[in-house]
This record gives sequence, structure tokens and C-alpha cells, in this order.
Amino acid sequence: MHFVPKLALALGAALAPFAGPALAETDPSAIIRIGSLYEPQNLDNTAGAGQGINEAFNDNVYEALFRLNDDGSVVPVLAADHTVSEDGLTHTFTLQDGVTFHSGDPLTAADVKYSIERVLAEGSKSSRKSSLAPIAGIETPDDKTVVITLKSRSISLPYNLSYVWIVNDAATDITATEDGTGPYVLDGWKRGSAISLKAFDGYWGEKPKNSGATISYFTEAAALDNALLTDALDLVTTIQSPDALAQFEDPSRFTISEGNSTVKEIMAYNDRVAPFDNVQVRKALARGIDKAKLLEAIWGDRGMVLGSFVPPTDPWYEDLTGVDAYDPESAKALLAEAGYPDGFTFTLDTPNYDPHPITAEFIKAELAKIGVTVNINIITANEWYTKVYQAKDFQATLQEHVNHRDVVFYGNPDFYWGYNNADVTRLIAEAEEVATEEEHTAKLREANRIIAEEAASNWFFLYPQIVVSAANVTGYPVNGLNSQFFLRGIEKSK
Amino acid sequence: MKRNLWIGIVLVGLNAAVALLTLVWLPYGPAEMAGGRLSPPSWAHPAGTDRLGRDYLTQVMIGARIAMTVGIGATLLGGLIGTTLGVLAAFARRGLDDALAATLDILIAFPTLLLAMLVVAASDGASLWTAILAIGLAMSAIIARLVRILTKRVLTQDYITAARCSGLGWGRITFAHILPNIFPTILVALALQFGLAVIAEASLSYLGLGTPPPNASWGQLLQQAQSTVFRAPMGVIAPGLALVSLVLGINFLADGLRDLIDSDGEALTPDEDLELGVKGPLP
Repeated sequence: MHFVPKLALALGAALAPFAGPALAETDPSAIIRIGSLYEPQNLDNTAGAGQGINEAFNDNVYEALFRLNDDGSVVPVLAADHTVSEDGLTHTFTLQDGVTFHSGDPLTAADVKYSIERVLAEGSKSSRKSSLAPIAGIETPDDKTVVITLKSRSISLPYNLSYVWIVNDAATDITATEDGTGPYVLDGWKRGSAISLKAFDGYWGEKPKNSGATISYFTEAAALDNALLTDALDLVTTIQSPDALAQFEDPSRFTISEGNSTVKEIMAYNDRVAPFDNVQVRKALARGIDKAKLLEAIWGDRGMVLGSFVPPTDPWYEDLTGVDAYDPESAKALLAEAGYPDGFTFTLDTPNYDPHPITAEFIKAELAKIGVTVNINIITANEWYTKVYQAKDFQATLQEHVNHRDVVFYGNPDFYWGYNNADVTRLIAEAEEVATEEEHTAKLREANRIIAEEAASNWFFLYPQIVVSAANVTGYPVNGLNSQFFLRGIEKSK
Repeated sequence: MKRNLWIGIVLVGLNAAVALLTLVWLPYGPAEMAGGRLSPPSWAHPAGTDRLGRDYLTQVMIGARIAMTVGIGATLLGGLIGTTLGVLAAFARRGLDDALAATLDILIAFPTLLLAMLVVAASDGASLWTAILAIGLAMSAIIARLVRILTKRVLTQDYITAARCSGLGWGRITFAHILPNIFPTILVALALQFGLAVIAEASLSYLGLGTPPPNASWGQLLQQAQSTVFRAPMGVIAPGLALVSLVLGINFLADGLRDLIDSDGEALTPDEDLELGVKGPLP
């Protein structure tokens, strides 16, 4: 199990930037130059802006009642105090004192109510709309107090609220401008080129360790890497391939950090159709593929093998790689038991971009050894959405699932993969309605174990989150959960 | 000058020989993970290996077979449909001829990529045959337009009138006089289109609309090697060189053929020259 020490290594790396290695004197007036591939479509996260807006604005320009930290923990930010009633249906939040928006308006309870309602509004395209569905009403007894009443208990409420930007209720349209409470204000947005942020003088909390940042957007990974090589950037937020890293291997010039992403490469079966409705068949296919070898082919010595859909940054993570470890002989035996002694043939719908085609070829070669024939059908991302996701017209497919805390998808029998286990559906529904974090975690852990035991899908590996920076830049987030990229801790030495 | 012709014959011959060789022998199995991840070129793997440890040379050789198959298939299909349509249009009455000519122009302007997506959507999925069909159809419009012009020119010749007077039917005239007369020019055009078909196939499989994996087409090899170009440049260079050698060879061959025809005194008009090289079946 060679990935266990690697995980420890990754966690070590995660802490290292905050430990602050003894470097030359840091420069608090530095503007950090960041390169990214994800330019937002607009500046409003409820208007279909894309993941780029989370990267640029979450906790930088806008703050929320809670923050999802880089290690996966959820901590209060604008909420100074949070109490829950006995029945779990009434949540009372007291706001931080002395918080002002960038426009100068003080933060009031009305702003919070307005901000949550913005996400829940009819035309909102927020991906978190459905997770906030239990909210029945929001009241503001006074300027500092927000009371949220729920239709049913929702233990993930603080987590879900970490996605809700607190916006000044006087701001009407924030698609091209902003009015948040964060440590940075928007200094300029050149569409197609860059967003610049500068430190906000009236920030209520601790001052950031730099005076601003420019996030430059690239459409080509190679151009992005070149910009860092030629010192046009201080840091790039994601490296897409391990083979691009060779250019940055000089430690006197660059730091390569590897964290855990939430991007999972999986083969999802259509669990409704034969032979994938048979647990033994799914387990056989899980045992028939050498995941470690696949991971090595795609990410070299980075990333980690998965035994289930849950990455280590989810609190209910558990190492389940041993459940159906690579074992072609037992895979064949399972197939025979399931009534397929001579194997079978299935079509694998494969998105046409890396790493899916090469993954499909590897699976085809691996499964051939246990007598299963794979027909690779290459499709576009659009076809995947209409044919696989919407019409559910497929046998098996490859996909990278990017969301954080998304094991709950297995609790929805109508999801595209059609996994339907009454216990799992119940556990996932119950998990949301428990009183404590511990129970929540325990229920999801139990559900996850059942899903793994039944090999609901074939989970291959977790992508590494690779950030490369100039050697004199430290203090950036290494996991980038939910695509966030916190700027306030970044230091650049002279 | 027959130099062009010879260069062409050698380059195309080499590709054809490799394609034929793959039917009976390959250095490694197509899916055999024989080496390490991205091994550099060595005696065992002259072009190195890909991320799964598969031999690049083996894949490039299989790519030659796919390129030749698609090239030949599409050219035959395009030539057959194109010639038939072109001759028919030339014989048609004024109104119908105009309509056909306009249709051909529209077809030529229709992107091959879109056509390929339509063909793939109409069938079970992308395959060697959908690629041949899409490229062949796109090519047929170009050939048809050329055949129509050439046939019209031949039709004004005195010997056609003479043949008509001697009581020959249009069918006989077509096979005895028109086709033999326009054949050399069509041959050159088909040769050029063959080269463009090879490039079109590479583009389609680059986008996943061609031969499905694991049958390594050059376009697909290029696509897969793209992310590892810094670590293993041979993954891009080898299929790239192969593609260039075949397309260049075919163009030399076509040039040589044209020189041969020109020296026989059948010089092409500037219009026809344009027709030959103006557009291939590429988006």
C-alpha cells in the first residue's frame, strides 16, 4: 500500500507553507501574480460564472458565514456565534462586529438574509441551490442576528452556507462588479485577460500578507507553464499533467506542491442494466483492474488510488482499497459464479479528452485478461451530458467527478448511474437529519462502506492537486477544495 | 523531370509496405504493455513507449495501415460517386446542371467535420467506416465539380460530334471517349485528395471521430502524446513524421503524374489547376 506514506507526505506538504520556512524577508507590499486556466464568465456565482469565480473571489473578495478550509474543516467567519435549537430546526447566527462592505456599508442581518435568498431565487444558477432546500424561512430579529428555520434537520447547513457569499443588499447587479466583506477589493477586470485585486483597507480581520493579486487567465496549459518559467507569474493554480512538471524541477527556482484534489476518475456502470445489476460482476471488474498501474501511467508517482468515491478531505473518508484489491484470479472466479464463465462484452462510453481515452485502453487490456471484452465508444462532452447523464442510455462510462462531499449522489436512485440500495438511500437521508457531526460522519461512513462492498462503481484514482510557484512564494492553499484559492496567506520574499 | 514521381513512389511505397507488413508482423502486440512509462528511445523501443508502456513504433506502424485504408477507401468512394455525379451533371439540361453545380458548391463549403459528426451520429459510433464514409462523401463533391468541367470541355470536341453522328449512344461515348480522356486529370486529382484524406482522418481521430481506440491512428497518437510532449517528444514526432512522409509522398506522386500528363501535351487550363488544388476534404 504505497499510497499511505504518500498521503502522509501530502499532508506534510499541506502544512509546510503555513509553517513558514526561514526565508529572506517577506514583502508585504508584493502583488502576487497568479496564472489560471479558469476565467469566470461573469463575477456572480449565482449567474453561471463557472468554477473560476470561486477561485478568484471565495474568501478573497466575498466572505461567507462559514469557510470551508483547505483541509476540509468548516469554521465560522462572519458568524461569530451559532446556536441550534433542541429540535435542530432553528439555527441562530450572531454576526461579527465591525464588518463593513467594500462600499462602506456596515454588515447587517438583512444583508445575510438577502444573500441567502439570492442563492435560492428562481433564476439562480448556484450549484448549491438544492442543498439549501431545507430552509423554510429567514428572520432578522435585530441587525446582528439571523434566524434560519428549517423544514427538516440539516447537519450540513454550516458547510452549505460556506458556499453562500455575503453580498451587500444594496448591490443589485454583481455580474461585473462586487460588494463583499473580504480582505480584497476588485481593482479591475480585463475580460479575456486578468482580474486584479488589491487589499481592502477597512477589512475587519487580520490584514493579508500581501497587498494584492493579479490573476491572469490562459486558455492553453503550455502557455500558462511558459509564463511561470519566464517569471511572468509567481504561481500557477493547477498543473494538468505530471509531464509538464519536468520544467519546474529546479528547487532553487520553483516549489512544486502536491495536495489532494477532489477530482476522482471513475468508471460508472449503469447499475440498472444487466450484467451491471449484478454485484458479483461489478466486484469482478473492480478486482480485474490494476488501479495502481493506471494511476502511474497517468500521474506518474502522484495522486492516490481510491477504494471508494470518498477522498481523504471528506470527514467520512476511510481507506477501502482493500475491499476489492487487484486480483484477476478471484475476478475470474466471481464472473463464473455470477454466470459469466466466458466473460461478456460491453460498450464503454469514453469522453474524447485526456485522460479518458488512455484509461479506456488500459481497462480494455486489463479486462481482456479476465475474459471481458470492452468496446470503446468515444463521445464528446456534450454527448456525455445528453446520452449518459440525461438519457441514462449507456452500459458503462468514464468520468472525472470533481465535487467535494459528493458521495451523497449514491443516495439518489435516479442519478445517472442508477445505484439503488435502500439502506444507502436511507443512511444518506438520515445522515443529513442527525444532531451531531459525529453521527453525520458515522452514517456517511457506513453508507460509503456499503457502496464500496457492492462496488457500485469502479473508482480508480484521485487526481493530485499540483500547484507550482516561484521558490520565493509561500503560504498558498495546496488542496484547492471546491476550486477555492485563498490569497490572504501568500507571502513573497524580496 | 521524373524526380518528383520517384520521390513520391518511394515515400508512398514505404508507407504501403509498412501497412502491409503490419498484417503479418508487428514488433509488439498492439495492446502489449512491454516497456516502462514513457521509456526513451532504445534498441528495444526505437521510438520509446507511451504512458501505458506500449511501443510507439508498433502504434505508428498500425497507424500507417489505418491511414492507407482510410486513404484508399475514401478515394475510391469519392472517385466513384464524384465521377458519376460529375458526368451526369455535364449531360444534364441547363437548369438541372445549374442546380447540381450549386448543390456541389454548397457541399464543398460544408465542413467535413460536421459531416463526420452527422455520419457518426447516424451510425452506432465512430469507426473506420464512418471516417471513410464522411471523408469520401466530402471528397466526392470536389471530384464531381472537376469531372463536370472536364466532361463539358470534352463534349465540345469534334470527335464527340463525330461519334454522335456515327450513331453511338451516350453510354458508349462516356466509356469510350469521355472517361479515357479525362482519366489522367482525375487521377492526379484523386492522388491529391488521397493525401488530404489522410490528413482529414488524422484530424477526425484527433477529435475522437475516427477509428476508436485502441486501434492507433496517427491523429489519436498525436492527441494522446500531447500531454507528455515535454517528457517524451518522440510520441509526437514519430506519428508526425509518418503523417508528413505519406502526405508529402502522395503530393510528390501527384505532381509527378501531372508532369507526366503535361509532357503528353494535355496541359491543364489554369481553371482546372485551381480545381485540383483548391480545396481538400478538410474543415
